[in-house]
Amino acid sequence: MELQELQTHLTEWLNEAIAAFQKVPGSAVLIRYVRSSYQNDPVRSAIELVLVIFFIRYLMAPAYSTSKQNFIKLTDDEIDELVDEWTPEPLVPNMTVLEEMESEKLPIIVGATGPKSKLANGRTVTNLASYNFYNLNANEQIKEKAIQTLRTYGVGPCGPPQFYGTQDVHMRAEADIANYIGTEGCIVYAQAFSTISSVIPAFCKRGDIIVADRAVNYSIRRGLEISRSNIRWYAHNDLDDLERVMAKVVAEQARTKKLTRRFLVTEALFETTGEMNDLPRLIELKEKYKFRIMLDETWSFGVLGRTGRGLTEAQNVDPTQVDMIVGSLAGPLCAGGGFCAGPKDVVEHQRLTAASYTFSAALPAMLAIIASESLHVIQENPEATLGVCRENIRLMRAQLDPKSDWVICTSAPENPILLLVLKPQVVEARRLTAEDQERLLQEVADECLANNILVTRLKGAPITTHMGLKDNVYTATPALKVCVTSGLSKKETEKAGIAIRHAITKVMTKKGNNKLGVPTA
Amino acid sequence: MTDKGGRRRRSSSILQVYHEPLEPVEQLSDQAALPNLNANWVNAKGAWTIHFVLILALKIIYDIVPGVSQETSWTLTNITYMIGSYIMFHHVRGVPFEFNGGAYDNLNMWEQIDDGAQYTPAKKFLLSVPIVLFLLSTHYTHYDLTYFIINFLAVLAVIIPKLPYSHRMRVGLFSGVPEE
Repeated sequence: MELQELQTHLTEWLNEAIAAFQKVPGSAVLIRYVRSSYQNDPVRSAIELVLVIFFIRYLMAPAYSTSKQNFIKLTDDEIDELVDEWTPEPLVPNMTVLEEMESEKLPIIVGATGPKSKLANGRTVTNLASYNFYNLNANEQIKEKAIQTLRTYGVGPCGPPQFYGTQDVHMRAEADIANYIGTEGCIVYAQAFSTISSVIPAFCKRGDIIVADRAVNYSIRRGLEISRSNIRWYAHNDLDDLERVMAKVVAEQARTKKLTRRFLVTEALFETTGEMNDLPRLIELKEKYKFRIMLDETWSFGVLGRTGRGLTEAQNVDPTQVDMIVGSLAGPLCAGGGFCAGPKDVVEHQRLTAASYTFSAALPAMLAIIASESLHVIQENPEATLGVCRENIRLMRAQLDPKSDWVICTSAPENPILLLVLKPQVVEARRLTAEDQERLLQEVADECLANNILVTRLKGAPITTHMGLKDNVYTATPALKVCVTSGLSKKETEKAGIAIRHAITKVMTKKGNNKLGVPTA
Repeated sequence: MTDKGGRRRRSSSILQVYHEPLEPVEQLSDQAALPNLNANWVNAKGAWTIHFVLILALKIIYDIVPGVSQETSWTLTNITYMIGSYIMFHHVRGVPFEFNGGAYDNLNMWEQIDDGAQYTPAKKFLLSVPIVLFLLSTHYTHYDLTYFIINFLAVLAVIIPKLPYSHRMRVGLFSGVPEE
């Protein structure tokens, strides 16, 4: 009885449900669809059903973020507490003992700088601390041009090169530099320091590989850091190690079938050691392993070679074989700004992608003219500039390197910047730390100044303490920096050399400094 | 080869499965520096309509080719759309334009959409298009088993990589886990 009643109820409900379903608009279509799709194939229908169910579930699911929410929820009290506890770091960090000592004695030049400069305390000193190697600073012809340009063009172009900043003088300077070095094109930047830090990221991106010398200067380091590329280091000036690193990169890429841009970044004359690079070997390696080379000629442009064209001329390498030559117009040329010379495509690419070209005001017209003029002067009479300077370098070196018992000169023979480091035997025997060496060399510089000779130290600290590239442990050896100039006569140069040598001897044999044989804990 | 954290090796067999590790902070900040022009357009007006327009265009093109039956035409439309969307959303990695220094070089477009968030409206839409297209094409191929199998494999190929489960998952065949 009961069972029968239940059955009739069920049938009624079912009929009602079917009737209700049929009233829903579109239900007929659905039924027809299901009927026609079943087609006596339960497996296929089941697959379709699963797909539809999954689809509906997907549509119903709430959205969520997959990135890690790595913050802790703090209460207001905790926030206040943290704010109260926070003490800001000083905007300018406190000076170290050495820096304090140095800044107290910092010589200040009054009036025009030159081989003989007047200091604030009234004394006139022989200036061996300036990159004015050919004394173009005092060249009347260049001065006259500069004044003329200043009167016609004003002080600055007040705009980036791509935004009304480019003037005819910039284009002329670019053409002059390109002609001088012998490349297809050239691009002039407004600051020498930011040139290579901008050229590197213009070409190298994340995932690319850059092989670089361990001792490269600070500006290159910044460029490498900004580029986000994978940096591989090779031992300083050790081209066998370079070959090993390059071969490793090539083998890795062949195995993983990865094809990226590969660059080699190095300096022609090293800022921290003064040593010269072996360009023919570099070119050979880069051709062999298919790398592109960026050569920083900041310290060698206008210095090396018969007419000052740089390392390419000095070592008889075709400049078109170097992909990018980066140089400075600020040192011996007495102008300002930097440049990158290379094939036309390389140069044009930078006009939109190099940050410091696109986003900073163009070089003042006056400096562009001076750069052109200085190149003209050097090219016209290399004997009077480069020749005289080289003779002076030889004389200065002769007084210092073999003659002094205490220092050796790490610079290349043609380098007008003589970097004098303490002999390794001396450092070892006296157990001098880097700081001790800095202090001693500062004393030497002070002693020289007392004898009216202005020299300076290599400021290697930023390179050593630069934390951006943690995998490169390189310590610049403390050095005394002597910059030779053709503005001094042979006699004066020789005399200055003797005075520096005596100053070194005096400081090194001073009682307090003689730690010979005394073990330090 | 040393294990470098994130990319863990699941097995050392022919098939390699690993997950793309989270980018370092520096790369994340590069990603966040600018809006991702490569992925943001899927949320833009008209981006949804274009799917229907393209499917319709494909169908018309295959219809006017002489000698192609309705069944073949639907199947071809289906697999063309699936292959196209697979290449676009799951195969190509990175960003075609240079604006963030390659910060997205390891992620495909699906993973870039909505910063990798799951079940967002755009993703729901992009998943529903292939499913609906598949149901339509099986219906119009009159549930022929061969066509069904072809269409079903095609739809699986675009649905599986869209699942939250497959987020940042990489499958390699006969190739080692990349080192970097």
